[in-house]
Amino acid sequence: MENKFKTNIPRRPIWTGNLTIGLVNVPIKVYPMIYNRGLTFRFLHRSDGHPLKYQKVCTKDEKVIPWEEVTKGYEIAKNEYVIFSKEELDAVKPESDKKIRLDKFIDYFSVDPIYFDKSYALVPNKSDEAYSLLLATLEKMGKAGVGRITMRTKEYPALIHAYNGAIVLTTLRYSYDVLNPQNFEELRKLKEPQKIELDLAVRIIKDLSGEFDITEYKDRYKQEVEELIKKKLKGEKVILEKTVDEEARGLMVALRDTLKKLERK
Amino acid sequence: MNDKITKVEFTNLKKILFLKMQITKAQIIEYYIKVAPRMLAFLTDRPLALTRFPNGIEKQGFYEKNAPQGTPTWIKTIKVFSKTTRRSTNYILCNDLDTLVWLANLATIEIHTPLSRVDSLKKPDLIFFDIDPEPPATYQKTAEVTLLLKEKLDNMGLESFVKTSGKKGFHVVIPIIRKYTFLETRKFVHKIGKQLAKEDNRIVSELTETKKPGKIFVDYLQNSHGRTMVSPYSLRAVPEATVSNPLDWKDLKKGIKPTDLNIFNVGKSKKDPWKRILERRQKLPE
Repeated sequence: MENKFKTNIPRRPIWTGNLTIGLVNVPIKVYPMIYNRGLTFRFLHRSDGHPLKYQKVCTKDEKVIPWEEVTKGYEIAKNEYVIFSKEELDAVKPESDKKIRLDKFIDYFSVDPIYFDKSYALVPNKSDEAYSLLLATLEKMGKAGVGRITMRTKEYPALIHAYNGAIVLTTLRYSYDVLNPQNFEELRKLKEPQKIELDLAVRIIKDLSGEFDITEYKDRYKQEVEELIKKKLKGEKVILEKTVDEEARGLMVALRDTLKKLERK
Repeated sequence: MNDKITKVEFTNLKKILFLKMQITKAQIIEYYIKVAPRMLAFLTDRPLALTRFPNGIEKQGFYEKNAPQGTPTWIKTIKVFSKTTRRSTNYILCNDLDTLVWLANLATIEIHTPLSRVDSLKKPDLIFFDIDPEPPATYQKTAEVTLLLKEKLDNMGLESFVKTSGKKGFHVVIPIIRKYTFLETRKFVHKIGKQLAKEDNRIVSELTETKKPGKIFVDYLQNSHGRTMVSPYSLRAVPEATVSNPLDWKDLKKGIKPTDLNIFNVGKSKKDPWKRILERRQKLPE
């Protein structure tokens, strides 16, 4: 149970290959860094406690369809599909050349974080010297390399940068996957504020400025449920304490009085 | 603290169920909690018929006898097979405060019960006279007729109890020993009705005459298996949020207005006029 919530090192890299800058190759292994450590529950059959499974059911006759009979279709119009076999799709999959070519270096913070997608740790693959040189250079200059990486069936733009003593790759979103807020008419119509107002607002924000520590933020729902799991494992009875709103509190008082009256009878 | 006092989880407490009087569901629940000590003894072991108005009484409500889907396991229910509909109905029994509160939380406004109890559904423990005026008969006239009925019953040595219907009329109830069939109690009520109709031309005793303006109908037909009476202290689904309220016979003489008895003023009197109804088991005269 304790282990389940501990941060572990993933067993296998999801990608291996080379970081390439000009003629220099740095062999690296890629590990995912981002986890969604939410709570996962399984659906169980209430009466016998057995887990439930999903089945693919045909919408025509409600029959359960086995995997051999499943294929993919791209919907071109309502209920109209272009059908693909697995082989056809495999044939056009982008081939990874196992290289992350860095063709440009930029200031890391010149890319708005809105484009940052997922971060991966790059670990030297018997390339300690070259790796440590690249890392030290990135740290010293505060620069990030721009390149692309092909993972599974998709090619991503990516940034290579230093983070906490490691070279980290962050995949970027395509610009067309991010909504332009100027699409909202309300935002296009916004008027410039008056200078005096702006100066005042700036002063207020300066007064309120502080340091930010992400570790201060915890998922409280998750913590509560983890507490409950521990109690349930120990066989303790879980007492449900629901927050009682104001209306309900009035009813509770009335209930208590009435219960007393009923007991006296 | 919540689960110790009640098993019920309250929902939508702020929802307005009586638009005209701006009464919220919380107030409905509070009302039923308040009258519970007097109401529960009466409800105990009687399969319930409910009228529920989840969207308020101005909107469409529904009549419900079957325990709804999602009824918690701690709610007592009883399956009763009906020969006429050839179906069994899973009735709710309200024998405790939690159940009453649960019902109120379901936006139950009216609670109706049969005149018999679950261990012997075909042998009633109550006889029920429904005094129902047809406009323009006034409530004073209706009260006079109701008092006439009381006098008649008194003369037969039967103690009777009265409540407002919550609408226009009055309900007169006689507690009896459980040995008569509904046919017998129905005949008894019909017989009294006919006598009253003979003595007073304002009164009618037959269903066919009920729509005659200004007449007061002494309804005997509810004394049947499967029929119900609105429970004492039940709210009525009318805009004024009236209550079917047990009265002292003296109150009737004073000229009480049935529509004045509502969610806000019922249950405050110290005396329970129907306190003895369940202890008083009477035989019908031969």
